[in-house]
Amino acid sequence: MRTTQTLVGTVALLLALGWSTGAVAGPLDARGASKSLTCSACHGFAGQSPSATVPILAGMSADYFKKAIQDYAAGRRPSTEMEPYAKAVIQAGLDDVAAYFSGQKREPTAITVDPAAAARGKTAAVQCALCHGPDGRGDSAKGVPDLRGQPVGYLRNQMFLFKADRRSPADERLKPLKALMKTIPDETLADLAAYFSSVR
Amino acid sequence: MGITRRDFMKTSGVGLGLGLMGGCAPAIKGDFAPKTGRRVVVVGGGWGGTSAAKYLRLADPSVEVYLLEPNQEFVSCPFSNLVLSGVRTIDSITFNYKGMRRYGVKVLHEAAGAIEPDRRRVRLGEGWLEYDRAIVAPGVEFQWEQVDGLPANKDVVLHAWKAGPQTVALAKQLQSMDDGGVFVMTIPPAAYRCPPGPYERACQVAWYLKTKKPKSKLIVLDANPNVISKTALFRAAWQAYPNLEYRGSNKVVKVDPGAREVTTEIGDRVKYDVINLIPPQRAGTIAVEADLVGADKRWCEVNHLTFESVKHKNVHVIGDSTIGLPVPKSGNVANAMGKVTAVAIAHLLAGKEPPPMAPGNTCYSWVNDREAIAVVNAYKIEGGKVVQIEQKLTPGQSATVGQNAIAWATSIWNDMLG
Repeated sequence: MRTTQTLVGTVALLLALGWSTGAVAGPLDARGASKSLTCSACHGFAGQSPSATVPILAGMSADYFKKAIQDYAAGRRPSTEMEPYAKAVIQAGLDDVAAYFSGQKREPTAITVDPAAAARGKTAAVQCALCHGPDGRGDSAKGVPDLRGQPVGYLRNQMFLFKADRRSPADERLKPLKALMKTIPDETLADLAAYFSSVR
Repeated sequence: MGITRRDFMKTSGVGLGLGLMGGCAPAIKGDFAPKTGRRVVVVGGGWGGTSAAKYLRLADPSVEVYLLEPNQEFVSCPFSNLVLSGVRTIDSITFNYKGMRRYGVKVLHEAAGAIEPDRRRVRLGEGWLEYDRAIVAPGVEFQWEQVDGLPANKDVVLHAWKAGPQTVALAKQLQSMDDGGVFVMTIPPAAYRCPPGPYERACQVAWYLKTKKPKSKLIVLDANPNVISKTALFRAAWQAYPNLEYRGSNKVVKVDPGAREVTTEIGDRVKYDVINLIPPQRAGTIAVEADLVGADKRWCEVNHLTFESVKHKNVHVIGDSTIGLPVPKSGNVANAMGKVTAVAIAHLLAGKEPPPMAPGNTCYSWVNDREAIAVVNAYKIEGGKVVQIEQKLTPGQSATVGQNAIAWATSIWNDMLG
């Protein structure tokens, strides 16, 4: 009787606390997860960036991610922060890390935007629709990124970099994009960032 | 998996009145919570300890994780120099540990008394907690005795090198100083917590004085021969601060609060109105007492892949207490070490080989109220050791780097505590 009580008590205890004797699969068992943990300091756990200027990597297409890392590592996308880390990602295994982030579900940024700016941006976004689609979802097969729900500061900064030709200067495919950016005033670029960041 | 205090009391049958989230506890006696599964006890809830505890629960939710941290609140050392200059409030860098509960980390706001590697337990009050593996993340302790006159005057000669009440007190001393006063800060010999931290502090104090007390002066007495981190960037930033006088190879060995004077190794006496003396440092006391430190009695050597102590099995040491890796003693590195250790321990407890994982370091320093500089270090694992791939510095100071600093802080605070 006493043994039964102890046993029942022990089982109840284990159930209540979720303990077991063997290892339990955690969210770090996905391919590339352990290789991606350094990234979470800035990009958030599972690539879900909580800040205004660091991009969300969760759900980013693997090809787009790999191109970005290769461009950072080679200095084509100049960044003090990303150049060393891109080299570390390549050392650790670029395919694994790209697979990990592309396999994570993207939650839109929690950073809110000025609704008036987003509304102005929506009107201005017709000029982006040809490549990115009317709501900014992009086309991963063509290497066009999904802009929806990315942090506003990140989107704005990247547009400024394109406009000044400081991101991937020699990339032929980006020339039409940069030409377009040059025709758009900075305030409108900020509105576009607010709009695409707000799309759910 | 969250667990409330009531559930814990009910299911564990522990009748002690010790709150899981703190409170007045009667003496803890005996085995505080008899171990029924695999358990890891984390000593210290700073940058390394919080990261390790959270990521261990993410890596294997079946492992029970205790985090022992005497303080109820976490105050960030990074950004705390901005509190001295009044650019930020202490509240803006203060966080609680409640987020840890979402991951099922059992936070006990108690100071660990000692680590007993042979018995695999951590002393707690008059009792103990058993562990399968312990993670020791106590940060640094000051070597007060290295500066004559300091041990007896700890309350008035402030270090403000562990963010918290001393940060606020030093800010008040700076604000209360008469215009025309002399603020003296002293930098200990390397290694110490946060290599660029003192030079960032010099920028913040100089910026504050230039803005608010233009007749005042800052004298920096550095035990090291030159600025030891981001040297050219700090030197360039100091061009804006003619009120800053930097003296290298000026190790302070004595302080006399009565005479308001410090003395250097070569016998120079420097008068001050406000003193900020950052003492020499070593690993946290609990690590020293547990015999985790090397022959120098200061720092702990560890395995680069698992952070297991080279001196005691099943005890891992992370953060500022460690030595031997080509990394600075920074919060970002401690965060990375915590994550690497969490994954390594999850593997070791499951009888698997830990994967090779390298840390990283991103380190921002504010040079005025809105501009910052940065250094970034990337690493790889080679031959079982952490090896640096590259170090890169920002080309100069800018508000953009300042924005990146804010993004980094927002994110990494969340990575530890959120």
